[in-house]
Amino acid sequence: MTAAMLLVAAAALPAGPLDFKARDMRIEPHERRVVLEGDVQLVRGDLDVKGRHAVAEYAKEQRPAAQKRRGRNQPPQADSSFGGQSVERFTVTGDVKVRRGGRTADGEQGVMDVPAQTLVLTGTPDTPPVVRDGSETLSGDRILLRLDSDDVDVVRPKVVLRRSLQQEGSAPAVPVKVEAAHLVLLQARRLAQFTDDVVVRQGDMVARSPKMEARYDGDGQLTKLEMRGGVDVRQGDRRATGETADYDARARTLILQGDPKLYDKGDVLTGDRIDLALDSKEVRVERARGRLRPEIHKGERGEP
Amino acid sequence: MQGVAFARSSEGQLVARGTAERLDYRREGGRLEASRGSAIIHPTPGTSLATYGTIRVLAQQAEGEVPNARGTARGGVRLDTARGDSALTDRVALENNVLKGNDPVAASGPGYRVNGNGFSVRTDGTQIRVGNGVRGQLKPMEPAR
Repeated sequence: MTAAMLLVAAAALPAGPLDFKARDMRIEPHERRVVLEGDVQLVRGDLDVKGRHAVAEYAKEQRPAAQKRRGRNQPPQADSSFGGQSVERFTVTGDVKVRRGGRTADGEQGVMDVPAQTLVLTGTPDTPPVVRDGSETLSGDRILLRLDSDDVDVVRPKVVLRRSLQQEGSAPAVPVKVEAAHLVLLQARRLAQFTDDVVVRQGDMVARSPKMEARYDGDGQLTKLEMRGGVDVRQGDRRATGETADYDARARTLILQGDPKLYDKGDVLTGDRIDLALDSKEVRVERARGRLRPEIHKGERGEP
Repeated sequence: MQGVAFARSSEGQLVARGTAERLDYRREGGRLEASRGSAIIHPTPGTSLATYGTIRVLAQQAEGEVPNARGTARGGVRLDTARGDSALTDRVALENNVLKGNDPVAASGPGYRVNGNGFSVRTDGTQIRVGNGVRGQLKPMEPAR
């Protein structure tokens, strides 16, 4: 998902007016807003937003001081502090659908902050906002799409790195699922930054860390996951910890460094570096030292 | 009467003035008919209508009942405001303090431009509705840099 999103190269939205269509339009000058009702569509450049209802809120303008001192018998002029001339925020609600380039997003509400150049999508607990790119899907509690770049900021993301970790050959891909408190996709750097309570799941492997970065190649394929700040990896009865963990997406190995430790039933191993092969479940420990209890492993496959 | 100019004041302030090529006014019933008429309205300061500043209305034909504040303007009706709003439609009816029309309407103003197929406007200026399929443009703010 992140790979696909990082590949989409959209420029900043063009300046100029925003086109709209709707069933009805209501201008409420006192509230400084325009309300659009029924099959609303907003279009600006390659950005297309649809929903059932939209409110465009005008920016406040400063009233020139001279206008406040008008003679009693002079006819009143337009009050320029009212009915501002440009819209600073659009709020679209009701089955909101966003399209920009090859990317689409759905939500229950979308708020476009024009000065900040952002579009924030939210949903409901049952129907969270979703961003799609082809068959890839990213959801979260709140999705912020930057309109001046292709970056995305997600609160409580739920990501399936399905496309990115597709295996060669006939073996079905095992999706990597990532959850975190926060995700920032940085288009220009081909980087996805997950922070706070990062959990990565692939098959029976679960890795946790405070932060993780996902890196992509020029084709949008995931090359590396870098977990930092203390990593805890569990796979079956096996547990490994370290200060850092680097996942090589092509080799499908996880390399733990920074006082790495491996706990496997009664065994406790430490070394300079621990390599975990996720498919074969082989472990390689460099400059290993520790305690082994072979009797615990009797009866395991390959054991006498 | 032909070549008519009129003015109306309230509490010492000019609230409206206008001209008409021809104007017939029947005092009994307060019935009025005008052709090629224009009116300039100066809304009372502090009211919602004052949002728009001075309002100018042009119509080919107008008829109505002054005491009942009811009437119709047709044959091309144009409205312009000092704020910069402008609207054009073929026929406008006034009843119960609401201006209404069911013909295509084109309107533009500060930050918006819209085409629709019918409209209603409260004469106190609190709301303008354009309906039956609208399309147009809104002007967004410039992004903060």
